[in-house]
Amino acid sequence: MTATTTDNTSGAVLDFADVDVRFSTEFGSVHAVKGVSLHVNPGEVVALVGESGSGKSVTSMTAMRLLPSNARIGGEITVNGHAIRSISEGAMRRLRGNDIAMVFQEPMTALNPVLTIGTQMTEALELHGIASGRAALERAIELLDMVGIPEPERRVKQYPHELSGGQRQRVVIAIAISCDPKVIIADEPTTALDVTVQADILDLLRSLKDKLNTGILLITHNMGVVADMADRVCVMFKGELVETGTADEVLLNPQHDYTKMLLGSVPRLGAGRDQMGINIADVEVEEGAELAIDLQNLVIEYHRMGKPPFRAVDDVSFQVRQGEIVGLVGESGSGKSTIGRCALGLIPAAGGSFRLLGQDITGMKRHQLKAIRRRIGVIFQDPAASLNPRLPIGECISEPMVVHKVGNRKSQEQKVYELLDAVELPREVYNRYPHEVSGGQRQRISIARALTLDPELLVADEPTSALDVSVQAKVLNIFSDLQARYKFACLFISHDLAVIDLLAHNVVVLQNGRVVEAGPREQVLMDPQEEYTRRLLAAAPVPDPREQRSRREERHALLRQLGDEIAELKGDSDEFHSASAHSDDLG
Amino acid sequence: MLRFILRRLGVSALILFLGSVFLFFITVLSGDPLEDLRESRERTAPQQMEARIRNMNLNEPWYVRYWIWLTGVARCVTLNCDLGTDSRGADIGTALVNAAGSTLRLVTLATILAIIIGVTLGILAAIRQYSGFDYAVTFAAFLFFSLPVFWVAVLLKEYGAIRFNNWIADPAISLTATIVIALLVAFTLASLLGGDMRRRLVTGGVSAVVAFAAITYFDSVGWWRQPALGLPLIILVAAAAGILLTYVAVGRSNRKIFYAALTTVAAGAVGWFVFNGWIVTPTYPLLLLMFGISIVAAIVIGWFWGGWDRNIAIWVSIGTATAFAFATALDQLLRNWGPFLERKPRPISTIGSGSPNFSGPFWTGVWDWGVQLILPTIVLTVISLAGYSRYTRASMLETIRQDYVRTARSKGLSERVVISKHALRNALIPITTIVAFDFAGLIGGAVVTETVFGWKGMGAMFQEGLQRVDPGPVMAFYLVTGTAAVFMNMMADIAYAFLDPRIRT
Amino acid sequence: MPDNDQPELPGSGKERLSPIPDPHDPGSVQHRETAVAGEEFSVEKQIDLTQKSYSQGELIRRRFFHHRGAMISLGFLLFITLMAVSSIGYGFIPGWWPKDYTVTSTVTDGGRPSLSLFPPVWGEQPFGQDDVGKDYFALTMRGTQRSLTIAFTVGILTTLLGTVIGAIAGYFRGWVEAILMRITDLFIVIPLLVLAAVLGQSSGGGIWPLAIMLSLVSWTGLARLVRGEVLSLREREFVTAAEAIGTSPWRIIFKHILPNTMGTIIVSATLTIATVILLESALSFLGFGVKAPDTSLGLLISTYQNSFTVRPWLFWWPGLIILGIALSVNFLGDGLRDAFDPRQSRSSD
Repeated sequence: MTATTTDNTSGAVLDFADVDVRFSTEFGSVHAVKGVSLHVNPGEVVALVGESGSGKSVTSMTAMRLLPSNARIGGEITVNGHAIRSISEGAMRRLRGNDIAMVFQEPMTALNPVLTIGTQMTEALELHGIASGRAALERAIELLDMVGIPEPERRVKQYPHELSGGQRQRVVIAIAISCDPKVIIADEPTTALDVTVQADILDLLRSLKDKLNTGILLITHNMGVVADMADRVCVMFKGELVETGTADEVLLNPQHDYTKMLLGSVPRLGAGRDQMGINIADVEVEEGAELAIDLQNLVIEYHRMGKPPFRAVDDVSFQVRQGEIVGLVGESGSGKSTIGRCALGLIPAAGGSFRLLGQDITGMKRHQLKAIRRRIGVIFQDPAASLNPRLPIGECISEPMVVHKVGNRKSQEQKVYELLDAVELPREVYNRYPHEVSGGQRQRISIARALTLDPELLVADEPTSALDVSVQAKVLNIFSDLQARYKFACLFISHDLAVIDLLAHNVVVLQNGRVVEAGPREQVLMDPQEEYTRRLLAAAPVPDPREQRSRREERHALLRQLGDEIAELKGDSDEFHSASAHSDDLG
Repeated sequence: MLRFILRRLGVSALILFLGSVFLFFITVLSGDPLEDLRESRERTAPQQMEARIRNMNLNEPWYVRYWIWLTGVARCVTLNCDLGTDSRGADIGTALVNAAGSTLRLVTLATILAIIIGVTLGILAAIRQYSGFDYAVTFAAFLFFSLPVFWVAVLLKEYGAIRFNNWIADPAISLTATIVIALLVAFTLASLLGGDMRRRLVTGGVSAVVAFAAITYFDSVGWWRQPALGLPLIILVAAAAGILLTYVAVGRSNRKIFYAALTTVAAGAVGWFVFNGWIVTPTYPLLLLMFGISIVAAIVIGWFWGGWDRNIAIWVSIGTATAFAFATALDQLLRNWGPFLERKPRPISTIGSGSPNFSGPFWTGVWDWGVQLILPTIVLTVISLAGYSRYTRASMLETIRQDYVRTARSKGLSERVVISKHALRNALIPITTIVAFDFAGLIGGAVVTETVFGWKGMGAMFQEGLQRVDPGPVMAFYLVTGTAAVFMNMMADIAYAFLDPRIRT
Repeated sequence: MPDNDQPELPGSGKERLSPIPDPHDPGSVQHRETAVAGEEFSVEKQIDLTQKSYSQGELIRRRFFHHRGAMISLGFLLFITLMAVSSIGYGFIPGWWPKDYTVTSTVTDGGRPSLSLFPPVWGEQPFGQDDVGKDYFALTMRGTQRSLTIAFTVGILTTLLGTVIGAIAGYFRGWVEAILMRITDLFIVIPLLVLAAVLGQSSGGGIWPLAIMLSLVSWTGLARLVRGEVLSLREREFVTAAEAIGTSPWRIIFKHILPNTMGTIIVSATLTIATVILLESALSFLGFGVKAPDTSLGLLISTYQNSFTVRPWLFWWPGLIILGIALSVNFLGDGLRDAFDPRQSRSSD
C-alpha cells in the first residue's frame, strides 16, 4: 500500500484537505461540497452539522470512495495515513471496514434482509483476515455481546427482520467495529430511532471511542446529539464549512450568523414557552362549554389475518377543551398516530367512546361524519406526500370548500389568497404545483388547507418532524400565530418533547397504547411522576454541552436507580485490540 | 413452511376446479359440434350424427356432461382415469399419454432455459448498465417481445431445418461467414468483460482470432459431420466450470474450495475410464445411476476438503461434477452425430416430434428426439427469455440502489461478492412471482409452436378439439397444462420462501 | 429526518432540496438563491415567480418528446396507420390505391413485388401478387387495417375495464378485490391464448365480436397493476387528508388517485396494444380469430405459410408489419415509462 502521510495533521486518522465535490447531472453540474477541510484525531468525536443540502453526507462519503460515478472530487483525503484518492480500488477495499468503517442512518435498510446476522458479521472478519470459520462466528457472538445484544448465540442465526430497530443499529455498530477501524463515520446514526434508544446508542458510541480510541466523524442535524457527543464541531451550510471549533465554543458562543440562526431555531426542552418568538397564550374556557375532544376508555384494534387482533390503543381517556393545544407524546408504537386517525374518523373504535365537538363519532353514518369533518382540520407529517402532486396549490387549498360546497368560485379564490397571506406565501403560488416548492413551504400549504373551513379543531400528526430545524421554527411560528388568531383547539401529536414543551397547554404521555401520565404541561414536563415519563425526559438531549453533561449524569443516575444497565461497550480495550490484531499484519 | 405449501396447494386445487368448470362451459358454448354434419349431404350423415351425439353425450345439458367428465377424472385417484371419448369415439386418455410427454418435455426445457439465460442476461445487463452489451440485450428483448410466435416458427423451420439439412449434406463455412461470426464473438465478449478501451480491444482481438482459428480448423477437419470433444476437452470444460464456480462462490482467496473442485475433476476422469463401457452404450437407468454416483462422489470430496466452508465446497463440487457429466454426455452425443447422419441424412424433419420407426444405438436415439426438440425449444425460449431478462435487469438495478448494498461495499467487499452474495438473491425474489404467469404464456406459445412444427402434442389436441367444439380433448389439455402450471407455481412459491426468510417465519 | 444531499431528479415527485441552484431548468427545484434580508441562511429555496410554471403533465410531455426511440416509433406507427387507412380507404372514405384486395387478375412477373428502394420504384404491384393474382399490397393494407382496428378497440376497452375494476378493487377492497384476484389466478391455470381461442371461436370470425371477446380476457393485467398502485396511493397522506376532509370515495378515486396512476395506465394500455396485435394474429393463424372472407395479418401468414419457398414475399410482408407495429408500440411504451418514471430512464444514473 502506498502511504503518503501529510505533515500538517500528524496523528489524524481522517483528514479532509480542501475537498470539493461536483455532481454532473442531466441539468448541468451541481457543486455539492466547496473546499472543505477538517480532520478527526484518534479517540475524538468530530460532529459535522448542517441542514439538508449542506453537503455533510457527501463530504463523509468521499472518505469511503463510495460516491456515485457522476461525482467529480477534488482535494486530498487521508485515511490513517493513506492518501485514498491515489490508491487502487483493491487497496481502497482493504481500507474499507479495516481502517474506516461506517454506521448508517436507517437500521431497517442497512442490513441485508436475506442473510443472517452471523453471515453479515463474519464476512468482514473473514475478508480482512481477522478470523474465519467457527472462530469468526465466535468473534461475531463476542461482538454482539459487547454492543449489548442479549442472547447473542441465538441472534447470530436470526435475520434482520427478527430484531428491533435499536438492536439492528447495535448490529450495524458491531459490524463497524468488528475489524477495529481507526475511524468510524456515523451518518445520522440515531435519527431513525426513538429518543430513549438514541440515548443508549450514543452511550455505546461514546464508550467505544473511550475504550478503543477510535476517531468518530458524527454527521447529524440534531444539536442535542452534538452537545451530547462532540469534542469538536464543524458547521456546514450549502457545501461550505462556515464554522469550526470545540463543542463548547460553537454551541455556547457561535460566531457565524448561520450557526447563530441554527441554534436560535432549536426549541429547548425545559426552557418553557417564550422561545423563538413563539408565545402561546393561556386559554380561558368557560365551564360547561362543550369539549373539542372527549375520549372515554377508547380501544382501537387492528385485525390481522389468522392472528388475534392487535390492540393499538387500550383504554385511553383524555379531553381537549376548546381553544386548547394538547400534546400527545410517545415513542413509535405508542398508538399516538392511531388516536389521531381515529379522531378523523379514519379508523373505527373497538370500544369506549370518542366524542368530537360534543358528538359521539363511534358508529356514526357517513353523512353525519361528513358534517363533523367540516369542523376539523388536519396536518400530516410527510411534506412530500401530503399534497396531491397533480393539483395546483390553489386547488389543493380550496379542495375542502369544493367538497363541502362552500361559497362560489370567486369567494373560494379570495379565501385561498387570504390563507396564502396567513402562511406567508406569495399569492402567485396559486397556480404552481407542489413539486415546485420545498418541504417547509408544502407544510405551510398543508396548514392553509387545514384552516380553509375555519375549523374548531385541528389534528396535527408530527407536522414538523420531517423538516430542518430552521424550517421547523418558521412553521411553528406561523402555526402559533394562526392559533392565536383563529383560536382552534389542537391535538398536537409529536415525539419531540421540546416542541410539545413549546406549544402545548396539556400533555398526554402514551406508551404501548396506554396513557402513562397526563396533565398540564408544567406538571408533566417539569415534575414527572411516572417512571416512563422520567426516562423519556432524561433521554432527550439539549443543545448545550454543559447542561447536557449534567443531564446525562442525571439520566445514568436514574437508570442505576431503576436498576437498568447503562449502554456501553463490554470488555476492555487490550482484549479487543489483541483479538483483531492480525489485521495489521495483513494490511 | 409446510403449512404455507399446503395452503397454497389447497388454493391452487380450488382454482384448478373453478377453471375447469369455466373452460368446460365456454367450450361447450363456443359453437355447434354438429354443424358440419347438418350441412352435409352424405347419406351416412344421420348415422354419423347419432354416433357423435353418443360419443359426446350431446343429449345431456352441459353441467351433466361436466359432471360425467369430473367423475371420470376423479377416478384418477385410483389410477383409473376415464377422460371419455372424443367426437370420433377414440379414447382420450390413450391419446393424452402420447401427447403429454412431448409437450411437457418441450415446455419444461424451454422454461428452464429461458430462466437461466434470461436471468443471466438480465444480471449482466444490469452490471454493465448503459454499455453496448446492455443496449444490445435491451433491444433484443424488445425484438423478442414483439415477434409473432408462429412467424418465427415458420422462419426457423425454413432456415433452421430445411436449409440446415441442405448445408449439413456438404458442410462448409465460407470465409465471409467465418469472419462475421468471429467479429460477433469478439464484440460480445469485449462488451461483456468491459474495462477500458485498450482492454476491450485486446479482449476483442484475442477472441476474434481464437474464434476464427477454431472455425477454420473445424471446417478443415470435417468436424461438422464428425464432431467430438475427447477426454482432454471434457477435463478442460469441467475444470473451467469448477474454477468459475469457485471464483463466484468465494473468490480467489479460498484454496480449499479450489482444491475440492480440482479433485472432483480428477475423480471424474478416473470414473470416465472405469465406466467407459456404460458411457458408450448406456440406458436411461444406467445414466441416472452414473450421475448419482458422481454426485455422491462430489459430496464426499466437498466434505473432505471443505473444512469450515463445507457447504460451499460441497456445492462447488456438485456443480463441477455436473459439468463433467454433461460434458461427457455431450461428447458421446457429438461422437454419435456421424452415425446418426448416416441413418437420417436430413437430420431435422419439419414435421413431428421424432421419426417413426427409428432404430439405432442409444445416443443416436437421443439425437432423434433431441434434434426435433431444438427448433421449437429455441422459439419458446426466445419468446419468454425476453421477459426474464428485462425483469431481472430492472430488479437488479433496484437492488443495487439499496442501503444494504452500500453497507456491504463499506465493509470492503469486492464487487463480485457484493453482486453475487448481497444483491443477486434479493433481486431474484420478485422474479419468482413472474414464473407462474410466464409458464402459462409458454403453454399458449406451445400450442402455436406445435401447430407449426406439426407435433401431435397437447397443442394439437386442444386445437382440433376446439375446432370440433369437443370439450373432451380441450379438458384433457387443460388437465395436464393446468396441473403443470399449478406445480410450476408451487415451485416458484417454494423458491420464494427459500430466497426470502421474511415469509418463512 | 432524511439527509438527502444527493440531487433528486426534477419531476420525480421526490425532489428534495438540492445543493445548487440551476436557473436553466424550469422543472428543477434548484433555482437561483435570491438572498432576501433575514432569510439569507434559509435552506428553503425561494419560490422563483419569474419563471414559467410547469405542471407534472407538461414535464412528462417534455421528457416524452425528447425520447428519440419513442419518437421514431410514433412516426412509424402513424405512417403505417395512415398508409393502411388512406391507401384502400376506410368505410366510405375512398383510398388512393386503385386495386381492390378481393379482385383477382393475371399474374405478372411470377407475382414478384415491384417495390424497390434503389432506385426507388413503387410499380404496379409493390408487394407482389398471390397465386391467383390478387394484389398483395391491397390485401396487406386491408389486413393491417383490420388488425389495427382490433388492437386499438381492445386497447381502449381493456383500459376502461381494467382501470375501473382495478381502482374499485384497490380502494374498496372487499369482494371486488377477491374476485379480481381469483380471476387473475385463473390466468395462471388457463393461458391467455387458450381462453382467447375458445372465446374467439365463439365470436364467429367477425372483427367486432372478436375485439369484444379479446377485451374480456385482456383487462386483468391492467386491473392488477392499477389495484397495486391504488393500494399504495391510498396510504399516501394526501389521500388520507382528502378522506379526513370528508371527500366522497368517487371524488377521491377520480380526482386524487387515478390522475396519479396515469403513468401506469397509459404505459400498460400501450403495451396491451402490442400484446393484442400478437394475440389476434396468433389466433387468426390457428383459425380461431378473424376468418375469411375478412382478413387480418395473422390470417394472411396462415394462408400463405406454405408458399414460403415459392413466393416468400407473401410471408414476409404481413410478418414484418406485425413485427414493426408490435416493436414500435413497445418502444413507445418504453418511452412513456421513462417519461412518467424518470428514475428508470437511461439518461440518468
